[in-house]
Amino acid sequence: MAEILLSEAEKTFILHGVEEGFRCDGRMRLDYRPMEVETDVVSHASGSARLRLANTDILVGVKTEIDTPYPERPREGKIEFFVDCSANATPAFEGRGGEELGTEISNSLATAYQSSQTFDLTALCILPGQQCWKLYIDILILECGGNLFDAVSLAVKAALHNTRVPKVKGACLDGGTVDLQLSDDPYDCCRLDVSDAPCLVTLCKIGDHCVVDPTAEEETCSSGSVVIAITEKSLVTSVFKTGVGSFHPQTLIDILKVGQTIGLSVNKALRAALLEEEQQGRKKECFGFLK
Amino acid sequence: MAPDNRRLQGPESTFSYTLYIPNNRTDHNVVEQISSDERRKDGRKLNEQRRIYVKTGVVSQAKGSAYIEQSNTKVVCSVFDPREIPRKSGYSVNGELYCEFKFAPFSCIQWRSHQPDAFEKECSLILRRSLEPAVCRHEFPNFQVDVYALVLENDGSALAAAITCAALALADASVPMYDLVVAATLGVHGDKKFMDPTVEEESLCNILPPDGRSRNHGIITAAFSPAHQQMSEFAQSGAMDIDCATSSIQLLREACESIYLLSQQCLLKGVTKMLKKKQKEIKLDLSSDRIAC
Repeated sequence: MAEILLSEAEKTFILHGVEEGFRCDGRMRLDYRPMEVETDVVSHASGSARLRLANTDILVGVKTEIDTPYPERPREGKIEFFVDCSANATPAFEGRGGEELGTEISNSLATAYQSSQTFDLTALCILPGQQCWKLYIDILILECGGNLFDAVSLAVKAALHNTRVPKVKGACLDGGTVDLQLSDDPYDCCRLDVSDAPCLVTLCKIGDHCVVDPTAEEETCSSGSVVIAITEKSLVTSVFKTGVGSFHPQTLIDILKVGQTIGLSVNKALRAALLEEEQQGRKKECFGFLK
Repeated sequence: MAPDNRRLQGPESTFSYTLYIPNNRTDHNVVEQISSDERRKDGRKLNEQRRIYVKTGVVSQAKGSAYIEQSNTKVVCSVFDPREIPRKSGYSVNGELYCEFKFAPFSCIQWRSHQPDAFEKECSLILRRSLEPAVCRHEFPNFQVDVYALVLENDGSALAAAITCAALALADASVPMYDLVVAATLGVHGDKKFMDPTVEEESLCNILPPDGRSRNHGIITAAFSPAHQQMSEFAQSGAMDIDCATSSIQLLREACESIYLLSQQCLLKGVTKMLKKKQKEIKLDLSSDRIAC
């Protein structure tokens, strides 16, 4: 993350504010900043989404390619996450600088989507043991303003919702090689079921309380945060801790419970926004990168 | 082996022969064993841990080292002297911990490549996050302490064993610490919670249970420092409801408290052995002086 230099007085100010329940930008402890999401911004990708959470700007592109399934899991497709912290976001990411953070985020997404209850990989199978769809989910961090995990997971969910996988009309095994017949109509696609896809919620511990959606300054003041992946059905699919602090077990239990309620509301809000965007259909105003 | 970052490994075209063994599905056997008499395949109860053996001072070339055996899981960990942080120009007030977690290529059922893969990189991160709160990083500013954990044989809960082992190795290396860290693993499958799962039980917990009362499944690794009652890491994967996750915190805490006693005893043994050795050396020096003159 970018080096934010804060004086001791500023840190104390933020700490006392959180204890009283006020934050520097006027939010309560459990309020998110306003978010904007737009799907279908990249024309060559099978699905894409751009999410802006105040200063954090994430662009996700999903490409579908044909691949052979793993030998021990012949009926499952594949999904791969790659996070690119571009030097655009902050000079600290120049060269190999952002690699560690990028690996951490992609590993956390891979763990969150690992269970078959979150994302059914059997839907990506074409011919068991021979061919399957592989989804390459590429995440570009264009601007870094704190709270990367949440923004990335919401953008990924929106992009997967927007992804259109071409419909395979027929597949036959012709002497060792697979012959696929795709539908003639380029708009004949199937959508992916993302109703159970998780959203990551970061709960940052500042002093004795935890705050949601920390800004970069608030993140510098905290000793540690807990990131939880919650699905719409209130299932916890991944929990891990970031930062150098440790937690008392009771604090951890409280944080998990708070995270669950917030995760549910965030999931619902994203769903509502995506449905609204879809309903607009042709009449939707495309802002792309102009806004 | 040092990772070669400039070379891109091509896809491996080899795979394990176990795919062709008929009736290789071990998960059903594991579940059947439990339903008969509430005991697991190796005779343990659901919340029973395996016997642990720990020893410090096993690697002579390292500043500090430790070896742990949890039934068949064997992990060796080495800690080296603080050295300057490579590739860093600015001054940092706190020291850094560089952790590497690696499975030996022959340690798991399937061959593992020499280059660390994504899972090993994630485990290295979890290892670092578990140890960082316990180390007094302000005692070695602008320096980095290297911790290398190598799994010689993986029979489940390798990461938790590595965390316990690494904390002992750090203590053996005289790195200033606030407390020892111990870790435990819990596997969840349906409504059964396996404490300290074997590799078979771990692979079972990664699959969705068949339609039954509960569809919870997953593995939780938690690191705990009992002296300050602080949980330094809680890593969960799989899919479970919130009550399952919160109730497992208490189970893991109890398991960690029991391992902590073993860790403390091991460290005490190491220190007394070293003191006895020093005493002997002093006696020999005195006697050799008399002979010389």
